[in-house]
Amino acid sequence: MIRLLLALVLAATAAGASAQSLLDWTDEEVGSIGRHGPWPPPPVRDPSNRVSGTSAGILLGEHLFNEPRLSGDGGMSCATCHQAGRDWSDGLAKAQGAVELDRRTPSLWNVGYGHWFGWDGAGDSLWAQSIRPLLDPREMNGGTERIGALLRNDRVFACGYEKAFGGKPGNDDERLLVDAAKALAAFQATFVSPRTPFDDFRDALLAGDRDGAARYPLSAQRGLRLFIGAANCNACHFGPRFTNGEFGDVGIPFFVRPGEVDSGRLGGLERLAASPFNLLGKFNDDTTGEAARRTRHVRRLHSNFGEFRVPGLRQVGRGGPYMHNGSVATLEDVVKHYSEVNPDRLHSDGVPLVRPLALSSEQSADLVAFLRSLDADVPPRPAAAALCP
Amino acid sequence: MRRLAIALMALTLATPAMADCPLDLGRGTGWVVFSDHYMIAFRPDPVRIEVGEPFALILNVCTKGGNPAELVAVEAQMPEHRHSMNYKAAVVAGPNGRYRAEGLVFHMPGRWEISFDVRAGEESERLSHDIIVK
Repeated sequence: MIRLLLALVLAATAAGASAQSLLDWTDEEVGSIGRHGPWPPPPVRDPSNRVSGTSAGILLGEHLFNEPRLSGDGGMSCATCHQAGRDWSDGLAKAQGAVELDRRTPSLWNVGYGHWFGWDGAGDSLWAQSIRPLLDPREMNGGTERIGALLRNDRVFACGYEKAFGGKPGNDDERLLVDAAKALAAFQATFVSPRTPFDDFRDALLAGDRDGAARYPLSAQRGLRLFIGAANCNACHFGPRFTNGEFGDVGIPFFVRPGEVDSGRLGGLERLAASPFNLLGKFNDDTTGEAARRTRHVRRLHSNFGEFRVPGLRQVGRGGPYMHNGSVATLEDVVKHYSEVNPDRLHSDGVPLVRPLALSSEQSADLVAFLRSLDADVPPRPAAAALCP
Repeated sequence: MRRLAIALMALTLATPAMADCPLDLGRGTGWVVFSDHYMIAFRPDPVRIEVGEPFALILNVCTKGGNPAELVAVEAQMPEHRHSMNYKAAVVAGPNGRYRAEGLVFHMPGRWEISFDVRAGEESERLSHDIIVK
């Protein structure tokens, strides 16, 4: 009898502890949390890229990604800025190519799941976006002919190309540039971030596993409640990647230098329309027309001025500086920005999507705790297999 | 029996538009919106509208008076935030009298108001319908 009583007391204590470490989530909140998963999603297959998801295309892309001969001076590769050990970015406030640029190097985590690429969305495919830094004189300044010649004349790359694309590299340099970019995109699409403490919480909560869910720190739970509730962060940071993939103006100054502005999405849409590599052009491998759906229907709006792509938040605490121009140093500063943002700067006609949240220090700490629960340690990458042993 | 047949015939003659206006698209996963003069039945394709994912609407447009009706444009906005879609829907008339509005994307969760500009001869009107996406 005494043992039974002891067991009952212990069970009640354990239940009490569990209840204390799990917020009382409503059904609506559970639904919102559920929409941030499951993670990871299925692997990417981009129909506009015929080597997307193929092992030979991915391997060729990995070798090209690390190849400095793609650059004009032979000193810079994609991996110079998108470093595996720095979460596929560089840790700098402003990207450093041949010159310092006006925007930050975006992380490439989960980039294959996007539909607009670059801070201004000037790329409508990952392969089209990969062409820009290859050719941009401020970045790699590679030149179409140089890239074509490398694929044609380097024995190993020529062999890797043939394996990936099923034929020898021809004499059409522009076609070879696009194919190199498609292999680069196939490789980048494999950068899928690992599962996080948030994912374990989300899955446990949806499965009704209260003990499992209670292992998620209370501070992160309170931050999550703010994120999907009063702060309304999930209006834009929506879905499993914590981004709706579109664009927003969050009150970062437009000026890059006195008298010079970064128009963001507005300029991006101009460059998209002018690009021979957009999905409406001849290099799109998708014959159904489906992949070009967004490009066909996207429109320029006055409100696009000063908008930038909503970044995904997975691995966000491992990155930084933040915002498109690297102007915010830490995650704590990001939360402070949203807490104190100037509403006059945002010109919203209706209920503003971004408004000063006026968070207490405890709420700010909770929000940061939640954001850091979207981080996961990354296992070391194995060395790339030989392209053509 | 004869009186019933006459009544049915009279009803059919009195409401030719109703008889010619299939509203089946409004069943199940679809919707029907009315005004004094127009009826629109529509459903999304794919059936479930996902935040951030392109979709189309398949529509039938009718007038209650039996005149031919035309769907001119489809637009959507979030009334709360007063912003439209980032995409412009294209309306195409199909061979079966149905319309297809292609290229819609609701890029945020919440309440979206879809508006339909319809026309019959010189008369035009805007009908609307609210959809909440999560």
